[in-house]
Amino acid sequence: MRLLNFKKLSSLDLVGVGLLIFLLLVPYVVPVVLNDFWVNIIAELMIWSLFAASVNLLFGYTGLLSFGQALYFGMGAYGVAFGFEYFDLSFWPAFLLGVSLGTLFAAFAGIFAVRLTWHYFAIITVVFSLIFYFLAVGTKELTGGDDGLPISVPPVLKFGQFELSLFDLTFQYYFIMVIVGLAFYMKWRVLESPLGRAFVAIRENDKRASLIGLNAYKIRYLSFVLSGLLASLSGVLFCLFSRYATAQNLFWTVSGEGVVWMIVGGAGTLFGPAVGAALLIVLREELSMYWEHYLLIVGVIVIVVVTFAPHGIMGLIKDLLGSRNSKLTGSDNGELLEKQGGTGNE
Amino acid sequence: MSEPVLSISGLTRAFGGLVAVDNVSYELPGGDLRAIIGPNGAGKTTLFNLISGMLDADRGTIKFRGQDISAKPPHAISQMGIARTLQIKSVFEGLSVYDNLWISAHARTQRLSPFRAASSYLDTSRIVEEALEEIGISRFRDEKAGNLSYGDIALLEIAIALCMKPNLLLLDEPVAGMSPEETETVVTKIKQLSKQLDIVLIEHDMSVVFGIADVVTVMNNGAILCEGPPDEITRDERVQEAYLGVPEDGES
Repeated sequence: MRLLNFKKLSSLDLVGVGLLIFLLLVPYVVPVVLNDFWVNIIAELMIWSLFAASVNLLFGYTGLLSFGQALYFGMGAYGVAFGFEYFDLSFWPAFLLGVSLGTLFAAFAGIFAVRLTWHYFAIITVVFSLIFYFLAVGTKELTGGDDGLPISVPPVLKFGQFELSLFDLTFQYYFIMVIVGLAFYMKWRVLESPLGRAFVAIRENDKRASLIGLNAYKIRYLSFVLSGLLASLSGVLFCLFSRYATAQNLFWTVSGEGVVWMIVGGAGTLFGPAVGAALLIVLREELSMYWEHYLLIVGVIVIVVVTFAPHGIMGLIKDLLGSRNSKLTGSDNGELLEKQGGTGNE
Repeated sequence: MSEPVLSISGLTRAFGGLVAVDNVSYELPGGDLRAIIGPNGAGKTTLFNLISGMLDADRGTIKFRGQDISAKPPHAISQMGIARTLQIKSVFEGLSVYDNLWISAHARTQRLSPFRAASSYLDTSRIVEEALEEIGISRFRDEKAGNLSYGDIALLEIAIALCMKPNLLLLDEPVAGMSPEETETVVTKIKQLSKQLDIVLIEHDMSVVFGIADVVTVMNNGAILCEGPPDEITRDERVQEAYLGVPEDGES
């Protein structure tokens, strides 16, 4: 690893560094400037960013549009809730149970789903999630149905008198930030690996990919499971954050929101979905106070972005900051190309 | 060594009532440059599709170096060392030329590890650099493949095939749509390559075929009409009939 050389940082990198510093300072700065309530909003934003990132891994990088990521999100939430409420697990075992449960569902559904592509894939993923949504609604004694299953969260860490608990909002914020940060780092590492290159090759041209020896089914399956893992992790965090798990988490509107955030933010970019989630959630929080039909405005924004910035806000920002290679300006998917730049950064 | 590179027997594939490849038997002993010619619809590309696994045969077997590959999927056949280019050129259009070659070089020779940075595989980057150099497309290395001219895409596709380090290379109309200069470069390249690996090419450009092929196979109506050295084929009456129709005095 070379030391950061600030002269080499592009303007977009600087924006990223600025945002990171902001995120680190949120629990101390935001209550002064706005109020406490916004610390929680930003924490929730990070969780939804991770969820949108799971949709993005499948669509933006592997070319599979899933409308069923809510299933793995919801199962992650139920896993951790069941761990606390029915198995009396302490924090980390329940955390792991949640992540494993969601990922196992993805590993199972993926066997069938990745045999299909495009609209058939979208349909089978939404069908899978609906099956388990209705199952969860129907088994109310176990799952709490639509009302939800409230949980009491045990401490994250405990040494004698000293304990770290999510009831401390500052600690909860940093806890969520670290887990989401690690997940994004993991996703980035995978995308920079040979497997990540294979994902993109499959997205670009699955026929050519099979003719260079790539097993499209296997690679799509790996992407599906990995994406399920990210979705479960966000579900676990959301359950811990909101203190309950509900069948609503499994509903297709949750999946749909993930897709919209990704598209508005920029599919196939690492942080695009986070930007999309942030923008639309903040809008929701602000507008819903004044107008109950705020979704109309959200709809207009989505249409405008899709029409005028087909690569989402991230694509637009990259254009404006001119961080793209001039040769590539105006090319479709320029930002994807940049990510895939063969020699990487070095 | 006595095992032929490719050995096809009784291969048949029909689309509805049309028998595109009709009971074809073909042997590629290896070591020479072969061409398959024939009028449109003769079944040449279908034969390539059957060999590379993109189509399943109705009947017959295909053996590659003694192993039956008839029922294998395309990726498994590619992994065994058969590379091909397509008549309608097929590359990863949204990726840079370098990345097109990188994944092609990596897919066959290495594992798809999720844990290691792609840029850290020196062997893979070396293969890519060599192919860029060898095919003469280094100046496009960072260009998006979709922005290249048709001729350059065709060159890229050949480079992709080379990066796979194949034992057998199937070229489907490699010089179609190329300028005369590009054609000459590619023809020279194919000739050089044929010393290192076995090549079968489908081509409509007769000057190309008769200039470089050691053995020419003529297909017509899904069947093999004849096979032999170029000068023999040019003199064969059946070939002239297939291409030009039956001579006037033969018509009733």
